[in-house]
Amino acid sequence: MLSRVADAVYWMGRYLERSENITRLLLVTEDFSTETQGLAEQVAHSAWKDLLAIFPSAQVAPAASAFAPMSQAYLVGFFLDPGNPYSVHYSLRKARENARSVREALTVEAFLAINETFRALDGHSRRGLTDPTALRDALGATHKGLFATIGAIEHTFTRDESWLFLKLGESLERAYRTALVLRAKLPALGAAEPRADVALYYTQWRTLLRALGSLENYRRSYGARLEPELVVPFLLFDPYSPRSLRYGTEAVKDYLERLAGEPGPALRVVGRLHAELSYHDGGVAAGGEQAVFLDRVVDVMIQAHDALSTQYFAT
Amino acid sequence: MKWVPDTTAYDETFDRSAAARPHYRPLVATLESFTQAEIDRRERLQKISLVDQGITFTVYGEKDGLERIFPFDFVPRIIPAREWERIEAGLVQRVRALNLFINDVYQDQRCLKDGVIPPELVLSRGEYKRELLRLTPPRQIYTHVVGTDIIRNDKGEYLVLEDNCRCPSGVSYVLENRNLLHRVFPEFFTRYPVRPVREYPRLLLDALLWAAPRASENPVAVVLTPGMHNSAYFEHSFLAREMGAYLVQGRDLIVEDSYVYMRTTGGRQRVDVIYRRVDEDFLDPLTFRRDSLLGVPGLVNVYREGNVAIANAPGAGVADDKAVYAYMPALIKYYLGEEALLAQVSTYVGLRKDDFAYMREHLAELVVKTTGDSGGYNMLMGPFAAKKEIEAYLAQMKKAPGSYIAQPLIELSSHPTYVGGRFEPRRIDLRPFILYGETIRVLPGGLTRVALREGSYVVNSSQGGGSKDTWVLAARGS
Repeated sequence: MLSRVADAVYWMGRYLERSENITRLLLVTEDFSTETQGLAEQVAHSAWKDLLAIFPSAQVAPAASAFAPMSQAYLVGFFLDPGNPYSVHYSLRKARENARSVREALTVEAFLAINETFRALDGHSRRGLTDPTALRDALGATHKGLFATIGAIEHTFTRDESWLFLKLGESLERAYRTALVLRAKLPALGAAEPRADVALYYTQWRTLLRALGSLENYRRSYGARLEPELVVPFLLFDPYSPRSLRYGTEAVKDYLERLAGEPGPALRVVGRLHAELSYHDGGVAAGGEQAVFLDRVVDVMIQAHDALSTQYFAT
Repeated sequence: MKWVPDTTAYDETFDRSAAARPHYRPLVATLESFTQAEIDRRERLQKISLVDQGITFTVYGEKDGLERIFPFDFVPRIIPAREWERIEAGLVQRVRALNLFINDVYQDQRCLKDGVIPPELVLSRGEYKRELLRLTPPRQIYTHVVGTDIIRNDKGEYLVLEDNCRCPSGVSYVLENRNLLHRVFPEFFTRYPVRPVREYPRLLLDALLWAAPRASENPVAVVLTPGMHNSAYFEHSFLAREMGAYLVQGRDLIVEDSYVYMRTTGGRQRVDVIYRRVDEDFLDPLTFRRDSLLGVPGLVNVYREGNVAIANAPGAGVADDKAVYAYMPALIKYYLGEEALLAQVSTYVGLRKDDFAYMREHLAELVVKTTGDSGGYNMLMGPFAAKKEIEAYLAQMKKAPGSYIAQPLIELSSHPTYVGGRFEPRRIDLRPFILYGETIRVLPGGLTRVALREGSYVVNSSQGGGSKDTWVLAARGS
C-alpha cells in the first residue's frame, strides 16, 4: 500500500483511540470529582490535575461561574476546545482529517460513522456548550459515536495492510496512554493509607479501574474485592483484559508480526517488553519498581513509533 | 403544490400554455400527490444526507467552512430516448474530431497548413505544449475523458457551449445524485424507465487500462490528485474508491530509470496509467511549471518513452480552447467529412479583426470570455453589466484581443426547481461525460447544473450553482 496512506490510517487509529481515551477519562473523572468535591476538594482537584500529566495540554480556562463545578472548565477544555491538542475535539478532527485524506482506503460505513460523530461534536463546540448536564450528554453521545466508528471498522474492513496499520496505531496509542495513566495515578494512590477515609480510598481505586475501562473485567476475575495488590497486577499483567499493559503490548507485537515477515527494530523492542510482561515474577508491580518500569514502557512505545515511521512511512 | 412556469426561456417541463410536456406528466402528477409538508420533510432529509456523507466540494478564497455541500435540487431533468440518441451521436462525433485534431496539432499540423484554423490561434496558446511535438500517446488517444457542456436555446435546440478536454469534473455528483434521489423520492422512479449510471467507474477503468502501455496481466492505474484541499477532492477519492484504484499525490510517485513507481510500504511498485486530476502545467516541474509541488519530476520523460499513459494526455488542452471551439464545425468536416450533428453557439473570435470590431461595438449584448479561464471566472455578461464594468472590461480586452471570444447571450432553458417552498423556473445546462477507450462511450445523461439564483445564468458550483439528477429514458422495447 502507499506509504502516505499507511501513515494516515495509522494516525487515524491513534487519534480514534485517543479520542475514546480522553472521552472515557472525562466521564470517569467527572463522576469522581462530583462525588468527592464536597468531601475532599484537594483529592478531586488532583484527579483533574492528573489529566494534565496524561495529556500534556497547555492550560485550561477558568470556569464561567463561581457556582460551576470544578469539572466544568476541564470538560470544556478537554472535550470541546479546538485549540487544545489533547481535546476530544482536536483528536477526533485529526482522526477525521486523516480519514478524509485517504477516504478511498476506508469503507463507506467507517467514514460515515466518524464523519457524523465529529460533526455532532463540532456543533457542540461551535455552540459553546457549558451547562454540565448538557456537556455530559454530549460526552456520552460522542462516546457512543466512537464505538459506532470502531464497530464499523471491525465489521466492514478487509483485513489487509491498511487495517493492520490502523490497528497498530490504535494498539500502540492504547499501551502508551495506559502506561501514562498508571504512571500519573499509581504513586499517589500507592502512598495513600486506607485509614483516613475508607470509602474515598476505594472510590479512587475503583475510579482507576474505570478510567482504564477495566472495572467490570476486574470484577469478573476478583468480584467486588478491591485490593491494590490485586488491582495493580491486573492492570499490568492480565492476559485477557483488553486494556491491561500486557494485552496491549501483545496486540502491538501481533500486528507488527503480521506486517513484517522478519523482526525489525520496532518488533524487537516491543517483543522484549511483551516477554517481560508475560513472564514477570511480580517484581515490577512492587511499589519501588513501578515508576521505573512504567517509564520504560512509555519509552518502548516511543521507540516503536519512531522505528515504524522510518521503516514504512518515510520510504 | 405551486408551479411557476417560465415565460421567456424554453421550459423543459411546461409548454407555452403551461401544460406539462408528455414526458414530464407522470412526474408532475406524482409531485402533485405530495403535501407541501411532506415535500419539505423530504428536502430536509436530503440535505442531512449530503452533509452526513461528506459529499462536499471546496470553495477557493474562503477562509471558513472550506467544505460545502453542492446543493441538490430533487426535480429530475428528463431526456427522452430519441433526444438522447441524437445528443449521443453528436458527442461521439465531436470527441472523435477533437482527438484527431489534437493528434494533428502534435504531428503534421495539416489543419494549420490547409488553413482550416489560423496557426497563431493554436500555436500561441499556453495550452499548446511545444515540448510534446511529434510525441504519440498510447493508442493515439489524448482525450480519455471529455465533459462537453450543452445548453438549450429558446427553441429548445441543443447547442454545445464548450468542450472540457483536460480534467472535466462533476461525474461523481451524477452518481451520487441518482443515489440520493432513489432514497429521497423513490416514488419518482416507479413510472419511468430510467437508464442507470452506476456503470461509470467500471467504464472509466476500462478506458484507462485500454491505454496501458505494458502488456501486463495486471496493469496498475492510479488517480493523481492535488490533495484534499482541491475543490474536486471528493470526486477524486470517490472515483478511486469506486474503481478500486490507488489515489496518489505527486509525492507518492517517483521516476526512476524511465519508469514511474509508487512509494509503498513494501517498496516501489510500477504504475502504468495515471488518471491525472492535476492541471497539466503542474504535472512535471522539469517540463512545465518549475514551481509545481503537486507534480512528479521526470514524469513527462517517462511518458515520452512510452512507459506510462497519462489521461487525459498532456497537451489535450489545446482542443478545449474557447477560440478553437469556434472552428469545431469546420474541423469536424475536415477530419470526418461530416456535418456536425450537434449545433453550437455562434462565436466571435477576438483574433479576427472584424470579429473584434464587432465585439467592441456590441459588448452590451454579448457574453465575453477569456480563452484561458474556466469555471465562470473572468467573464463579462454584457446584457447585465453596468456601463462602467463594460468599459473596464473593454480596456482589458484591448491589451490582448486574441485572448477573448464573445457569444450572443443564449436564453438557457429553464427547469422547475424547488426554491423557498415552491417550484420556480431556474436555468440549467448539461454536462455529459464521454469516455474514449476501445470505443467511445457516453454516460447516459450527465450532470445537470442549475443556477439557483433567480434570473442567473451562471451554473458553476463555485458561483452559487446546484445540480439535479439527469434521467435518460430507455427506448421502448429495449
